[in-house]
Amino acid sequence: MSRLGRLRAESLAASRAFLRRRTAVFFTFFFPLIIVVIFGVLVQTRPGGGGLFTRPPAYYVPGYLAVVVLFTPLSRVGSEVARHRDGNRFEKLATTPLTRPEWLLAQTLVNVVVIGLAGLLLLGLMVVLTDADIVFSPLLLPFVVLGVALFCGVGAMLGSLASSQDGVISASNGIALPLLFLSETFVPPELLPAWLPTWLSPLTYFSRGVRAVSTGGGEVAVPLAVLSVCAVVGFAVGAALLPRTD
Amino acid sequence: MTEVLVAEDVRRSYGDTVALDGVSLSASAGEVLALVGPNGAGKTTLVRALTGTTDAEGRVELFGEAPTTVDRDRIGLLPQSFTPHERLTARELVAYYAGLYDETRDVEAVLADVGLAEAADTHYENLSGGQQRRTCVATALINDPDLLVLDEPTTGIDPAGRQALWELLEGLADRGVTILVTTHYMEEAQRLADRVGLLADGRLVALDAPEALVADHAGDSQLIVDGAFDEAAVAAIDYPTETTLQDGRLVVTGVRPESIGGVVDALDAAGVGYDSLTWTQPDLEAVYLELTGTGVGRSGEPREGARAATGGSR
Repeated sequence: MSRLGRLRAESLAASRAFLRRRTAVFFTFFFPLIIVVIFGVLVQTRPGGGGLFTRPPAYYVPGYLAVVVLFTPLSRVGSEVARHRDGNRFEKLATTPLTRPEWLLAQTLVNVVVIGLAGLLLLGLMVVLTDADIVFSPLLLPFVVLGVALFCGVGAMLGSLASSQDGVISASNGIALPLLFLSETFVPPELLPAWLPTWLSPLTYFSRGVRAVSTGGGEVAVPLAVLSVCAVVGFAVGAALLPRTD
Repeated sequence: MTEVLVAEDVRRSYGDTVALDGVSLSASAGEVLALVGPNGAGKTTLVRALTGTTDAEGRVELFGEAPTTVDRDRIGLLPQSFTPHERLTARELVAYYAGLYDETRDVEAVLADVGLAEAADTHYENLSGGQQRRTCVATALINDPDLLVLDEPTTGIDPAGRQALWELLEGLADRGVTILVTTHYMEEAQRLADRVGLLADGRLVALDAPEALVADHAGDSQLIVDGAFDEAAVAAIDYPTETTLQDGRLVVTGVRPESIGGVVDALDAAGVGYDSLTWTQPDLEAVYLELTGTGVGRSGEPREGARAATGGSR
């Protein structure tokens, strides 16, 4: 069986396992909806005065996308690692030809599809509910894929280091929430303290790149390059930390 | 004979706890090697060391290579307490593991071998405990391995299912598959294994054919005579082998089945009445209890073997 065959088998099993957890599926797609409704409709963006947000709706596309690109892989892959460890599945897989990077790549592929669909839903809702003027460019895709790969790697790290599934969820929330609001997503950099090193957050480069693409202006290459490096490193470390047994 | 599996002076510690303390063993092609021992004896750690899923000191080789570099198509593993994706069906699970290998057996044939053809479309979480375990065994068989490592494969399986699995494993061994199996069932080890390794406190305290272990460590057969006896009764009985008083019962050691009548005659001659007779034959369980230092039951009574040959009351 080729590497492609192994990836196919692992991806298929992971997809089936996910799609049959109906609560997880429901909230994966319901989450973007409530985020857009709360921030885009209830809080609203009113550049002319009023509303919590000060920028045009399209400015917040990276923030809304980051909600799914950040939270979903962290919790899903982290929980999956914990489930695999609890069921001694990694011990079994260690004696098969499937490698740890292949396992994580398969999980990433599933997440790319799930998050891609959730992201499309989210962008559609933004257009419909907030009248956001979004440039739908194919360049959005590499940012989403790289972001998902990065946070799947981080999720694998959390799942490998946390001692339980509950611990994974707590740790992923503890990491994702600060990142979400301190990475030039919803809060513009000028509203944050000058000393805050937002450049240290890889999500910042996701925000800058997606914003540049979705608003049709700004630097794309540098954020894409930095995010690529972060994704490769995050993925590699996550794969290396995946447990065998002990 | 070709050694499929070799372990020499294997050691593994977790902090101050010694899990394996210099274990050496080997298995040749087509051999069934059973590992028995109390909980915490080191069986699962040894399985992990042999399959390369934990780091251990010492030398371990599978097919002449380190476990981490050996061709993984040649190994089938069922880990202890293995739980696969609960929401996949038995067929999907076996097909999933088949998809990870270069060459595999037919999924339907493997499901039939483990008796799951009828339940193949049931989600794993809805299978009975025994069916779940058989599904797990199927995932270890799907790549048609040359070395099959099964950590407590029959736990939770009913007697009929266990018998069927034993027959399956015997068939595989006949075809030359080397099988390493850990178990808490002495009957399983005695039936399946060419050799049995007994682990205690991380050490291999015995390794031999079941019959040899029984002959060396299990002692003689016994006839247990139930009734109300005292030392005077013991002294009155004229029988050539050792007769002792244990918790008010007479225990006559070294009695062959054909000699039970002689004991009855001796009891009659001494005018000693009794309630029942139980003949016990030494077996692997006696070896286990002897070598692990647990030779006396919880009640403090001597252990009774499985084979009651005769009985009666006077």
